[in-house]
Amino acid sequence: EDVVPRQKIEIDNKIALERIRETIRLDPSMPWTETLTVTYPETIDVDVDDDLNRELAFYKQALHGANTARTLAAKHGLPFTRPADYFAEMVKSDSHMERIRQRLLDESATIKKSE
Amino acid sequence: DGPSQGPEKKRLRNKQRVLLLSSRGVTHRMRHFMNDLEALLPHVKKDAKLDSKNHLNLLPELADLNNCNNTLYFEARRHEDLYLWAAKTPNGPSIKMHVQNVHTMDELKMTGNCLKGSRGLLCFDKGFDEVEWGRLTKEVFTHIFGVPPSARKAKPFIDHILTFSILDNKIWFRNFQIIEKDPLQPSGPPQTSLVEIGPRFVLTPIRIFEGAFSGATVYSNPEFVSPAAVRSALNREKGAKYGQRKL
Repeated sequence: EDVVPRQKIEIDNKIALERIRETIRLDPSMPWTETLTVTYPETIDVDVDDDLNRELAFYKQALHGANTARTLAAKHGLPFTRPADYFAEMVKSDSHMERIRQRLLDESATIKKSE
Repeated sequence: DGPSQGPEKKRLRNKQRVLLLSSRGVTHRMRHFMNDLEALLPHVKKDAKLDSKNHLNLLPELADLNNCNNTLYFEARRHEDLYLWAAKTPNGPSIKMHVQNVHTMDELKMTGNCLKGSRGLLCFDKGFDEVEWGRLTKEVFTHIFGVPPSARKAKPFIDHILTFSILDNKIWFRNFQIIEKDPLQPSGPPQTSLVEIGPRFVLTPIRIFEGAFSGATVYSNPEFVSPAAVRSALNREKGAKYGQRKL
């Protein structure tokens, strides 16, 4: 570690943490469609500085989550896939997406030129 | 009974509303980051900056005025360090975290996109279930980042997934768009793939308090070193080098 280790008082009051969790916990009988939460059955165990493998691990987690959620959604009769004719405001605006697309085009053009 | 439980006994409802606000002194990047979160979470109510950094006890009251039972409070220090308080108001608990490696949607050139206000899936890795503070954090994050179906601006389809993963004792956040058709063969069998949307950030838990912005500490991270201490250690090292050279 590059940081100097320092003596600190560690508090980890497991009993209190559990008690607090009990007080705020959502009712376990609540249908899954209310929270849409899934748990990945594996821990992420990669080198933090290895960007490629780290992002791959996150991707795998998300993919597993998405597939689990789709089966759960089908079971609960929750609409999942957006129909092709459903249009609404998106998180990223059209101009933002256009900027991203233009950038991709520029990049591929540069690669082609250098070849 | 908690504020999260609906009044009717028959149908249990997940009722969550989140107050989102920051302290004074946030930089443009922190502001954009907050806007990203607001765009992704339709049950968020954004409020004006909080004037005082010493009167966090005002926050539960403010959340109550806005009919919110959760609060996300961004605290900027020295115009460069960002802390995030995730709290259940009015009765707690609250989690204080240090935010690092923030990349907003705008600056990340990612091709993913999703409906504004669609309910995102939440995906936690197994690391959260292995420690007690992780289980509590998971519960609080489920309340705050999970969009309830009753959210006024929520859209009826699911097209993105938020992932939280514990790695190196930090919580890593990613947001992916879910694509169900292979763009290369649109008529082929449905094949799920993901494209990242952003933003990205990493949270280091510092402390968990029993109350909302108050109360006894029930967890403290022994490994956390404040960013100011890291910087001053670096400066001291540099200074020592200079001192040696002068001799």
